[in-house]
Amino acid sequence: MRRIVFIMLLMLVPAVVYGETMQVITKENAIRADCNFFSAVKAMVKYADALEIVSTKGDWYMVNFGGKSGCIHKSALNKTAVQLAKTQGGSHAASNEEVSLAGKGFNPQVEDAYKKKHPDLDFNLVTKVEGFTVPAEKVAMFIKAGGLTE
Amino acid sequence: MKNLVIITLLSALMGCVPTLSSIPETAVKVGTSVSKAARPIAPEEEYYIGRSVAARILGSYKLLNSPDFTTYVNLTGQTIAFHSEIPFTYGGYHFAILDSKEINAFACPGGIIFITKGMIDLAVNEDELAAILAHEIAHINHKDGLGAIKSSRWTEALTVMGSEAAKQYTPGEVSQLLNVFEGSIDDVVKSLVTSGYSKSQEYAADESALVYLRASGYNPAALKEVLKNLQSKSTPTGGGVFKTHPSTEDRIAKVNERLTEYRVTDFFKIRSKRFSEHYSVFSR
Repeated sequence: MRRIVFIMLLMLVPAVVYGETMQVITKENAIRADCNFFSAVKAMVKYADALEIVSTKGDWYMVNFGGKSGCIHKSALNKTAVQLAKTQGGSHAASNEEVSLAGKGFNPQVEDAYKKKHPDLDFNLVTKVEGFTVPAEKVAMFIKAGGLTE
Repeated sequence: MKNLVIITLLSALMGCVPTLSSIPETAVKVGTSVSKAARPIAPEEEYYIGRSVAARILGSYKLLNSPDFTTYVNLTGQTIAFHSEIPFTYGGYHFAILDSKEINAFACPGGIIFITKGMIDLAVNEDELAAILAHEIAHINHKDGLGAIKSSRWTEALTVMGSEAAKQYTPGEVSQLLNVFEGSIDDVVKSLVTSGYSKSQEYAADESALVYLRASGYNPAALKEVLKNLQSKSTPTGGGVFKTHPSTEDRIAKVNERLTEYRVTDFFKIRSKRFSEHYSVFSR
């Protein structure tokens, strides 16, 4: 009896959360071979792409997307009504969160209106700053050379 | 009794296995007034707020053209960001240097971080630079900028947005949202430049910075050291960070309470050397 209870308790631990879908909430991101920031890229994903969750591993999800599987950090995904993206052009009552994730809320349309009202502000400079990026591979080398933690 | 145990466990198995909905989701912890509205500000919306806040900051400060040191700061900042709660924001983290002797730094919602030349001059090694950046990254992780937005604005925005997912905004709606957006930008800029965050938000950012530094492999005590450097620059009429932050003495005391043992290795010298190399080019 004790053995049965023990086995059943073990089964209560959700080792795998399978089949649900989550949406990418960053402009773009990478599905990597292993669950770390510097592992090989298996596929690139972009905002609103729907990924099938296979399991979790620490702060990472193991996912399937476009016939490929790998890891993506949890901060790049959110659980949303993915169906919404497919219904663009139609109309249905959506939750507030759905409205935002469909590109509503503060969006390029609102930013354009703000730019027109404030022609003195230089958004090209902001875009220039957004170009200040360093590839993950270069960060990996920087970390290694400095004896830092991956 | 045995049957009861089995039935109970079976019920648990069938009904209580956590699904994704019970897994903590990304960036949902928004300890701000705006989170009290029907929904928190989404990452994409945070990004657009951050871009306009950045434009406002760049309207008052000149961007410093120093490609080598900017890349170095981005490498250091990205290393820290990877060890924060939110390694990926909608538009990513970007670090830029402002050409100002004022000692200041600004964390725009979404991930753009400005640091003045005056602030960089406070750091004497890479670990101290990392400490400064870690504090700013913490403000973004904590969504402190968004917290400055009056909750009434966001409630108004949600009303304008409505619940029709697929429709485009009409000119009238854009006009209404623009007013809300503009007010929101004003709130954040005022908080960043003039009024500052609350003391508790600043202490929390220091506390998280210590966590990020340790997780990254930097010496957390570097935060204490750079605060001591900051304290030495304090003047009675000090502007910049002195105007918007709690007393440096109090911050040092609180950081000191939370410091734990850290083993300094030879890599500290390597990091310090590369800092000096980049800084010597930067400070010419």
